[in-house]
Amino acid sequence: MPAEGMGKLSDKLRLTFALSTVVCVLVLAISPVKDFRAEWKLYKRSFVKYAQGRPDTKKLLADYSPSIDQVWLPGMNVTDRCTTCHQGITQSSLADASVPQPFRAHPPVPHNVRQWGCTICHRGQGPATEVAEAHETTLAWEQPILPAHFLQASCGSCHQADLKETPQLARGRELLTYLNCQGCHKLNNLDRPTLGPDLSSVGYKVTREWIYKWLKEPRTILDKDGNVTANGYENEDEPRMPKFRLKEEEIRALSAFLSVQKARPFEKYKINPAVVAAWSRRPDLLAQGQVRFRLMMCTTCHSLAVTRAGETKMIGGDIGPELTKVGSKVNKEWLIAWLWNPKSYLEHNNMPRYGWSDEDLYKVSQYVLNKLTDSDLLTNVPQLEAVTDEEVKTGKRLFVDKGCSSCHALHGVAPQKDFGPDLTALGAKNASELEFSKAKIEHNLVSYIQAKLQDPVSVNPAARMPQYNWVQADLDAVTAALLSQTGPAPTSALQHLVVPKKEATFQPVGAFAQVYERYKCYACHRFNGYGGTLAPDLSYEGSRAQKKWIADFLKNPQTIRPTLILRMPQFNMSDKDASIAAEYLSMAVQKADVDPESVDVRQFNPAMMSLGKQLYEVKYQCQSCHTIGGSGGYVGPNLNNAGNWLTPAWIEAWLRNPQALQSDAIEPRRNVTEDEIRVLTAYLMTLKTGIKPQTTASAVRTPIAGQGAGR
Amino acid sequence: MKLNIPMMALFAASVPGLLVLSGCKKAAAVNPEVAFGAYDTEPDWNDSTKLVKLGYQESQGKRVFYQYCVWCHADASPAGPSNRSNVTPMPPLMNDGEKLNGESDEYLQNIITLGGSALGRSAMMPPYGKTLSPGEITAVIAFTRAVAQPAYQKPGRPGSQYTGKQ
Repeated sequence: MPAEGMGKLSDKLRLTFALSTVVCVLVLAISPVKDFRAEWKLYKRSFVKYAQGRPDTKKLLADYSPSIDQVWLPGMNVTDRCTTCHQGITQSSLADASVPQPFRAHPPVPHNVRQWGCTICHRGQGPATEVAEAHETTLAWEQPILPAHFLQASCGSCHQADLKETPQLARGRELLTYLNCQGCHKLNNLDRPTLGPDLSSVGYKVTREWIYKWLKEPRTILDKDGNVTANGYENEDEPRMPKFRLKEEEIRALSAFLSVQKARPFEKYKINPAVVAAWSRRPDLLAQGQVRFRLMMCTTCHSLAVTRAGETKMIGGDIGPELTKVGSKVNKEWLIAWLWNPKSYLEHNNMPRYGWSDEDLYKVSQYVLNKLTDSDLLTNVPQLEAVTDEEVKTGKRLFVDKGCSSCHALHGVAPQKDFGPDLTALGAKNASELEFSKAKIEHNLVSYIQAKLQDPVSVNPAARMPQYNWVQADLDAVTAALLSQTGPAPTSALQHLVVPKKEATFQPVGAFAQVYERYKCYACHRFNGYGGTLAPDLSYEGSRAQKKWIADFLKNPQTIRPTLILRMPQFNMSDKDASIAAEYLSMAVQKADVDPESVDVRQFNPAMMSLGKQLYEVKYQCQSCHTIGGSGGYVGPNLNNAGNWLTPAWIEAWLRNPQALQSDAIEPRRNVTEDEIRVLTAYLMTLKTGIKPQTTASAVRTPIAGQGAGR
Repeated sequence: MKLNIPMMALFAASVPGLLVLSGCKKAAAVNPEVAFGAYDTEPDWNDSTKLVKLGYQESQGKRVFYQYCVWCHADASPAGPSNRSNVTPMPPLMNDGEKLNGESDEYLQNIITLGGSALGRSAMMPPYGKTLSPGEITAVIAFTRAVAQPAYQKPGRPGSQYTGKQ
């Protein structure tokens, strides 16, 4: 380079400097521009613009600030910046569906956003300030927003008891209990499951061929014509015993093993030979058996496939097993012994012990054995040779390995501990903790749970979980219930948010305890939160009904509600049992503040009664829901016999506040004055046109017998 | 997000180290709201193949409706037969838009709260003000509006003509 050129910049170098200056300035400018264009600021600005286009601008922008807005609740571990973009969340004027998101107001819920934040219910990443980071799964955050459809799962994380506002969650929990998921999995806050039947003596009850068939297809399937194509315990909506993926040799081994289970011989019952001789020749034996079967309300608990007008439908309850083809299933002697006294075969069961006469027992058992059958049931079962020791040994191993022992007790076989994965924290799992295998589904928790429930092998080829058959609503309900299993609160600070569930028990004492246990009142009725939900809650029965009425009713149940079909069985209860039950219920099963003795009917005079009648018919028009005489509504109970049925104290308490006595009562609480209550009670106590208590023999001729089975 | 793309390109070119960071951002895939539908749904009474999407409030209204109102305001009840024909005058169906769309929310709120006789209508409609909370009653009305046939149109609120543009 020449000397005069020293110190001078070449054009090339100048250009380089100039360019690098520009680049430098640009790079410096990026940061503020990027900051200005941050996603949340865009939303902040567009909210201002949106608010300015509305008449209530001033109110909407009253607490506006251009910076990040957050709900910070250190006690609850909540730092939610959601309100930075969702700025109208507490503005009631923005509730309409036409308001664009993210500005729409939150619907009114029991929890205030400012007090609870957002992520406690909706999940997602609270501190994030970008749409994708806040709502979706990122590499650093795997708890995306919970889809609105499953939001009730969040309620369940804290509310261990069911809320009336969350029917989906309640249904899901009910199914988790009903389907015995807890047989294999650990789950929190659920009712204790009623596991499958004890199989210790199943060899006395059924044949090996039947077990083979059952294991091959343990559900009743109705084909498109409504024909029952396989025998089973459940109708197609609610399989309790799911389908296990068993190989042919496994089914053979299990059926061999089970068919030799005869741990405890059952007590045989011998029907009087004279009765058999007299009845077996009668042409109407099976028809009479059917009448008795219906009268005993077997279909309250058991279902049957019934064909009417060419249409086959499942009819009946799901407390006990389905009986469509039970005649082809069970051993005759076993059936008679079971009907006579269920306890002779199984110590713990839900079947009430009826008071049988030998005639009824013979008629009904003959009906079941000859009419509830299917000659084709076992035609597809291959010839099964004599049971070998080898098969029994394999069967015993399979019984534990396949998880049978998790739901079925069997004498001498201990269930495997922690058979299925612990699900108590499933709802809080990250997608990366789950195994998706080759399943072509979205990699998130909700899709995983649904895929696993629908087809367990799809996400894990080695899964032992059996196959269930879901309808969509139930699948979603169970998904929500599983999503609510989020484990223990992450910090002790959150522990106080948990609303525990009350454990309900009802332990009657004395002679009634035996009556209660014999007739299994709890299978259908509820006492202080314990028991079934099929029939009326009897927690306050002693305050509600008169003792004599209870005893008469137990001897001869009648339906009180016009729209309900009578489902209370005729137990042929002895006078002694009926009076023990009536005595105990009326003395000990009461609401504390409704003393049946507190109102004396002798104070009522005819003037009060006629005034009460006017109030009933004109002012309050109770006839819109209740029937007296031949007319009135179907919603409430028939009041024709109110004077014999209800206690005056109950009527008064009910008129004051129905929901205090029965929280889900339909009848609204009204402004009825004390004087009006008195005269209405006086009127209702005059209604005594009830049915005379009938003897058992005449009860057979009640109209119910002539109607179809069950509902 | 797409507004940022040219910016991001320049950014990434000039400062390669940040490339990794920008890679962290996952493109928005499926909106779960769309994938799983609304909070709740109700089969349309007139067209059983159609589902009406319900928000939180409407689905709470549905719950209240099926507990208290369905007995007289529907053609079938959970127990089977409807009580509607036993009541004179016959109460409107809950989805009867022709009758109910014309009534204001306030009127419906009042008649449910105070009962028919308080508003000079049939005493067979009992008051629910002491049984249901105002919120539950509002929810029932929201449910009625959601299932109404013909569909319910909200009356234009004052000043709504200003909200044409967003």
